[in-house]
Amino acid sequence: MIIEIGHFSVIVALVLSVFGMASAVLALKTRNPDWARSGRMAVTLIFFLLSVGMLSLVYAFITRDFSVLYVANNSNSKLPFFYTVAAVWGGHEGSLLLWVFILSLFSTLAVWLHWRTQPAIMPYLIAVESAVMFGFLCLIVFLSSPFERLLPVPLDGKDLNPLLQDPAMVMHPPMLYMGYVGFSIPFSFAMAALFSGRLGEEWIKVTQRWTTFAWMCLTTGILLGGYWAYYELGWGGYWGWDPVENASFMPWLVGTAYLHSVLVQEKRKMFKVWNLFLIIVTFSLSLIGTFLVRSGVLTSVHSFATDPERGLYILLFVGTVIGIAFGALILRSNKLKSQVEMDSLISRESIFLFNNLFFLVAAATVFLGTLYPLILETLQDAKVTVGPPYYNAVFMPIALGLLFLMGIGPYIPWRKASIASLKKSFSLPLLAGAVMVILLLVTGIQNLYALAGSYVVAFAGMAIVLDFGKISQLYAQRNGSNIFQGGLAAFTANQRRYSSMITHIGVLVLVVGIIASTIYQTEKVVSMRVGDEFAIGDYRMKLTNIHEVAGGNWNAQEGVFQVFKGENLITELRPQKRIYAATQTPTTESAIYAINMGHIFLTMPEVSEDGVAVARGVLNPLILWVWGGGVIMGLGVILNILRPRKKEE
Amino acid sequence: MNKGWQLTLVLILLGLFALFYKGLWGDPRHIPTVLIGTEAPNFEGPDVETGQTISLAQFKGKVVLLNFWASWCYECKVEHESILQLHQLFKDHPDFVMLGVNYQDKLPDAQHYLQQYGTTFSHVRDLKGQLAIDYGVYGVPETFVIDQQGKIRHKWVGPITGEVYTNITQKVIAPLLTSQPATRTS
Amino acid sequence: MRMRLTLWLVVLLAVPVSLFAAVQDETNLDIQVREIAKTLRCTVCQTENIWESGAPLAQQMRGVIRERLALGHSEAEIRAYFLSRYGDYILMEPPKHGVNWLIWVAPFLLLLIGGFFLYKEVTHWVRDTPTPPSQPLPPLDDQARKRIEHELES
Repeated sequence: MIIEIGHFSVIVALVLSVFGMASAVLALKTRNPDWARSGRMAVTLIFFLLSVGMLSLVYAFITRDFSVLYVANNSNSKLPFFYTVAAVWGGHEGSLLLWVFILSLFSTLAVWLHWRTQPAIMPYLIAVESAVMFGFLCLIVFLSSPFERLLPVPLDGKDLNPLLQDPAMVMHPPMLYMGYVGFSIPFSFAMAALFSGRLGEEWIKVTQRWTTFAWMCLTTGILLGGYWAYYELGWGGYWGWDPVENASFMPWLVGTAYLHSVLVQEKRKMFKVWNLFLIIVTFSLSLIGTFLVRSGVLTSVHSFATDPERGLYILLFVGTVIGIAFGALILRSNKLKSQVEMDSLISRESIFLFNNLFFLVAAATVFLGTLYPLILETLQDAKVTVGPPYYNAVFMPIALGLLFLMGIGPYIPWRKASIASLKKSFSLPLLAGAVMVILLLVTGIQNLYALAGSYVVAFAGMAIVLDFGKISQLYAQRNGSNIFQGGLAAFTANQRRYSSMITHIGVLVLVVGIIASTIYQTEKVVSMRVGDEFAIGDYRMKLTNIHEVAGGNWNAQEGVFQVFKGENLITELRPQKRIYAATQTPTTESAIYAINMGHIFLTMPEVSEDGVAVARGVLNPLILWVWGGGVIMGLGVILNILRPRKKEE
Repeated sequence: MNKGWQLTLVLILLGLFALFYKGLWGDPRHIPTVLIGTEAPNFEGPDVETGQTISLAQFKGKVVLLNFWASWCYECKVEHESILQLHQLFKDHPDFVMLGVNYQDKLPDAQHYLQQYGTTFSHVRDLKGQLAIDYGVYGVPETFVIDQQGKIRHKWVGPITGEVYTNITQKVIAPLLTSQPATRTS
Repeated sequence: MRMRLTLWLVVLLAVPVSLFAAVQDETNLDIQVREIAKTLRCTVCQTENIWESGAPLAQQMRGVIRERLALGHSEAEIRAYFLSRYGDYILMEPPKHGVNWLIWVAPFLLLLIGGFFLYKEVTHWVRDTPTPPSQPLPPLDDQARKRIEHELES
C-alpha cells in the first residue's frame, strides 16, 4: 500500500512539473506575480511529493517487501540494514529517482533562497528546473518505475550487487548526483540571463556559491568512487578510466574551467558569452554522462541492461535540453558584442584563458577517448579499446601544463604584469622547482614524469607559500602583530582568495600522491601455504592461518598474515575471499595497513581446495596523499562557501 | 561568437546526436572478428560422452560447424533446439560435420546437460581454454563454420535462432556444401 | 609453477606443514606473465586487463601466456598471437597505426590549434586596447599599502 502512495506521489509530481512550466511561462507573459508564486508552490510540492516517493521506497526496502520488483532485484532478507537504505539507489530505477529528488530539493532551495533578491529570474528558474524534472519524471513513470509490483511474490530477493555493499558506495552516488544537479542552478540562471537578455555579472555572483558547492560535491563523489575502487576491486588502483568514471570526470573538468573563468567576468566584465558557453557545456556533460551510463551505449562494468527504447528517450530528452540551451546561446550571442579590454598577454585574465584551454582540451580528450570505440565501430566496423595506458600517456602533459598555470595564475596581476614583478614573484618558485629536481636526482629518482611533476609541484607550492608569506608579513607590519596573526588577518580579509589557495594546495598534495603511487607502486603475487612467507620491499608477510569467517550475508576464507619489518612484527593483515550467499558472487576483500603515508595492500584472490593461497601484495607509496589532498581540497572549498558575505554580494 | 564558431558548434552537436543515435541500436557485444578467411586452428580433445580423442584434422575436407557452449550458459539452452534441428537438416550430407565444444565447464555438469537436453553429434571438451582462445572466443554460445579447405568462413556470437538460423543454414552452410565438387580439387 | 605446487602437495600429504614453511618468491616467469597480461584486455570484462581481472577467461589467458613463455616465445610473439585471434580489441590502447593516429595526436593537436587561436585573439585584443598613460612606478611601501587595500576591498 505504501509503495502505491509513493508511486502516486511521483505521478502527481510529474503533473505538477507540467504545471510548474506552464505557470512560469504565464508569469513571464502576464507579468502577474501570482503565477510565479504558484510556480514556486509547484516546485515546492514536487519536492515534498518526491520525498514521499523516496521514503516509500526506503520503507519497502527496510520492511523487505519483495513484492516490489525493484526491492526484490536489489536486496535480500539477509542484507544488513545499513545497506537496505543505500540499496534504494543501488539500481537503475532508484538512482534515477534519487537524481530527480535531489534536483527537486535544490530547485526548492534555490527558489526560496533567491526569491526576494532575484524576482525577475525566478520564473525562468522555475521553468528550467521544472522542465528538467519533467524529463526525468517521465522516464521514471513511463519507462523505468521503481514502484512496479512483482507477482507472485518471491520468497527472497536477489540481493544488492555485493560490490556495492560498501560504505563509500553508499555515499558515492548521492554525492555525484548532488554535483551534477548542483550545476543545474547556475545553468538555470544562465538560461534566465540568455532569455531575458540581462547578461551582466549578476547571475554569476548570485550562483557563485552554488557552483562551488556543486563542484565540491562532484569532487567528493569522484574521490569516493576512487576510494571505493581502491579497496573493493582489489587491484590496488583507484582510477581505471572506465567509461562511467569518465562520464563523471568530464563535467568536473569543464566545471573547473567555468569556476575559474567566471572570476574574469566578475573582475573585468569580459567573456560573457564564454562563461555562458562553459556552464551550458558543464550541465550538458552532466546530462550526457547520465545518458551514457543509463542507456548502455558504452558497455562498462557498471552498465545496465541495454534497452534501446529507454536509451532513445533519454537521448531525445537530453538532446532537447542541450539543443535549446545552445540554440539560445547562439541566437543571443549575435546580439551580444562584448567589449574586450586586454592590456597584455602576460596578465591574469590571459592566464585564465589558457587555463580554460587546457581544461577544455583535457575534457575533449576524455570525451574523445570514451567515444572513440563507438565512433570507430560506427564508421568502419572495427573495435578497439581505449584504456588506461592511452589516458596516462596523453593526460600527463596536459595535467603538467595545468599545474604550471596554477602556479602562475593567482600571482600575476590583472591587466598587465611587468617584467620586474614577474621576476620578483617567480624567481624563487622556479628555483624551488630546480632544487626539488636536484634533490630527487640525488636520491636516485630518474623517472621523467616523476621529475617533471615534482618540479611543477614545487614551483606551484612555492608560489603559494611565497605569496601568502608576503601578505602575512605586510599585515603583521601594519597591525604590529606577529606573522601568524598577520596570516590570519590576511586570510579573513580575503577569505575567498586564500581558501582557494588551500584548495590549490590540496591539488598539489593529491598530485604528489598520484605520481608516487602510480610510478612507484610495487607488487608481488605468490602462491603459498600456511607457514610460508614472501617479501615485498622491506616487508615480509607470513601466512599463519587460513580460516573460515562468516558475515550476515556472506562466508569467507580469511588469510591471517603477519607483517614483519626486519624481525619486528608490525601488524597482522586479514584479507578475505568472500562469497555472497544469495548470488554466489565472489569478492576479494583487501586488507590495508598504512605506514609512512603509504599503504601495504594485501589481497588473497584465490585459495585452492588443498590449501594453496594466492597472495597479492602491493606497496603504494604516499597513497595517503591522494586522499589527504582530497580532504584539503574539500576544506578549502568549505571555507570558501562559508566565507562571510560582503556588501557587494 | 562569429558565424564560423556557431556553425562548428551546431555541426558537433548534430554529429554527436547522430553518433549516439546509431550507438543505441548497435549491439555492444558485437566484436568484428579477424579470423574470417584464416586457417582454422587445429585442436584435439576428449569427447564429453565417450572420452575418446577428437581432433579437427580428422575431418579434413569437410564443412565443419563448431558450436561453443557450456552447461551454465543460459543462451545455450535457448539455441539448443535449433542447433539440433540444424544438425538434422544437414547430417545426411557426407561432407558435413558438426562438433560441439564444451567450454569452461565441469565434466559431470556437461554430461548431465547433454543427457537432459539430448544430442545427436559429438562434443569436444576444451580442457584449459586453449581451444577457445585459439578461436578468439569471447563467451558462449559462439558458432564457427569451417569450409572444405579448412578456412574459417563464418562466425556468430550469440544463439542461433530465428533469422540467424535461416541465414546460417541457407546463406552459409548450404552454398558451401553445394559448391563442394568444384572446390574440392584445390 | 603449477608443477611445483603439485609436487608440494604430494610431499605435504605425509609431512607436517610447518616443516616445509618456505620463503616464496616470484620467478622471472611470473614477472614476465604480469608484464604481458597488463597490456591485454579481458575481453569479457570492461576496460580491465587480464592481469587485474578475476574472470575465468582472463585466468586461462594468463595460463596461455605462461605456457607460451615457457615454450620460449617472446613477448612480441605472444602479443601477436592474441592480436591474431582477437584483433585490436585485445590491446589496452589503440594500436598506433592508420586512423588510430588521430586519437593519439588529437589532444596535442587541439592544444596547439587552440593555443594558436587564443594567442592570436589575445594579441589582437591587446592591440585594440588603448594603452593607459604610463605612470612612474610607486615606491615599494606604497605598492604594499595599495595591495592591502586592494585585498581588503576585493
